[in-house]
Amino acid sequence: MTPFEIGLIALAAMFVTVLAGLFVPIALMVCSFVGVWAIKGSPLLASKLMALAANDAISSYFFGVVPLFVLMGFIVAEAGLGRDAFDVANAMFRRLRGGLGVGTVGANAIFAAITGISIASAAVFTKIAVPQMIRHGYTPRFAVGVVAGSSVLGMMIPPSLLLILYGILTEQSIGDLFIAGIGPGLLLAVFFAAGIVLMAIFTPGFVGRPEGAPEALPPRVLLAKGLPIASLIVLVLGGIYGGLFTPVEAGAVGAIGALLIGFALRRLTLAGLWRVLVETGLVTATVCFLIIAAQMYSRMLALSGVPAGLGAWAAGADLGFWGLMILYVLIVIALGMILDSSSIMLILVPLMLPVVVPMGVDLVWFGIVTVLAVEIGLLTPPFGISVYVIKATLDDPTITLADIFKGAAPFALIMLAVLALVIVFPVIAIGLVPGR
Amino acid sequence: MRPALAASLRLLDGITQGLNVLGSVLILALMVLVGVDVAGRNLMGAPVAGVPELVTLSIVAIVFLQIPQALRAGRLTRSDALPQWLARTRPGLGRWLETLFDLISMAVVWVIVSTTWPIFTRAWERGEFIGAMGDFTAPTWPVKLTILVGGTMLTLQFAARILRRWVVLPASPSDGEGAH
Repeated sequence: MTPFEIGLIALAAMFVTVLAGLFVPIALMVCSFVGVWAIKGSPLLASKLMALAANDAISSYFFGVVPLFVLMGFIVAEAGLGRDAFDVANAMFRRLRGGLGVGTVGANAIFAAITGISIASAAVFTKIAVPQMIRHGYTPRFAVGVVAGSSVLGMMIPPSLLLILYGILTEQSIGDLFIAGIGPGLLLAVFFAAGIVLMAIFTPGFVGRPEGAPEALPPRVLLAKGLPIASLIVLVLGGIYGGLFTPVEAGAVGAIGALLIGFALRRLTLAGLWRVLVETGLVTATVCFLIIAAQMYSRMLALSGVPAGLGAWAAGADLGFWGLMILYVLIVIALGMILDSSSIMLILVPLMLPVVVPMGVDLVWFGIVTVLAVEIGLLTPPFGISVYVIKATLDDPTITLADIFKGAAPFALIMLAVLALVIVFPVIAIGLVPGR
Repeated sequence: MRPALAASLRLLDGITQGLNVLGSVLILALMVLVGVDVAGRNLMGAPVAGVPELVTLSIVAIVFLQIPQALRAGRLTRSDALPQWLARTRPGLGRWLETLFDLISMAVVWVIVSTTWPIFTRAWERGEFIGAMGDFTAPTWPVKLTILVGGTMLTLQFAARILRRWVVLPASPSDGEGAH
């Protein structure tokens, strides 16, 4: 067998074992080990490649800050800043039809500017927004759908862990990626809000019959609730673009800022901090272990020549730019049904880079397209991670997984529309990036 | 025999949790370290020496210290549609498949641990370090050690999954089969 054939078989074996339920990192490791063994004919060489990847794949300053971004997200949630964002957003949208739904989207957009992970948003707003919406007459299905849909803003509006990951994989500037995420993120929020108002007017059976707007907040209270969040946003984003620290360091600064605010407001306890630290550790370990495995796998693929072969095939197959993009988005969304976002990116991006680079594709724009497509997968069954987080946080047996998926479906469709817009009009993403 | 097995499983979980605590403390230290570096650079014009090196080293340690607990807590990424369907319709087959998966996992993690061993001994004997002489240096062997310890515990936790599935669960009539 040629290395190319071995590579293709290893690729197929990876998909089959992952679908069968083998742990994703283990599946990647096994396929890389056997693949390199078959290509090079030496088990010793194969095991050396694995050990080297385990020792140095994540041993860099960039990966070092992954736990800090996760920690920042969880501390912000623990300090109750999510509830503040919700109250402020509701005060702004209280007169709109479906105002609480729009408020949830707005709160998520604000919250997204101080966290970089969707699961933090999903967990926080399940606790805050869902009971409130149900109390005001929204159907449970719609309430959880709004939370699931708007939680994806956490990954789109900077800072964003997925964009950092993509930046590391493709050696693009993380600062540029963050700027490029702003346009599509805001567009997504506006589309979500418009969709909610339209659904509240035209499909009351799905939305429910919202009654009684939430109380208006006096300006003093509004200020007290808005100020801590606003100062954290200014600290994190201002610090990055003011040149005080790098996007990589922003996780640590943001975490410290959230910690100080939490303690100053007397909302964060030492026990709470410890719980958050343990949770951060588990998330970090899971994500980084996956990254290590994905590195082994992409080194194996590189040895087999599959990515280069795929690039040559795509260039020769006359798919054209549009055919390729549509195919890519379809594959990403399909994978999103069975895998979590970081796995998909780590598996696909190394495979796609040699294909798109010769076509002169803007890699920053390609990153935004990738993250958007990947995030649609967060809302699609059977493996929508946001939906599982909501289900776990909800702890209410009357709302089933199927309810949440159905509630989230309109939002997945809206995301698809925004994705199409970003593909057709790249300026939405890269218009703000300097030098493009 | 059985109490001894239960006790050793408890010990295994205890050690796993201990590593988890160590990793969490490291994350906190990392946050403080980067924060002090940023503050020092901007407020006093004096960056802290060796922060990038320490961050680079500790992320590897954090991951390998916590990954056994991630498995124990059921957090390791997988697509569980098929296993859940099997557990419902063909529980016997499901258990064999899960056991096969655990054995594969043990084998592949063990390959990494055993190949890291010579990397560890070399780092220890030669006193390998990162950083620049005279400015800041840190030895690399502690990180290699965490890979060995974390990898070993991960292998043992996979073995514990097999034991719990076949030995511990079916033998205790009080909480019967299929209970978790």
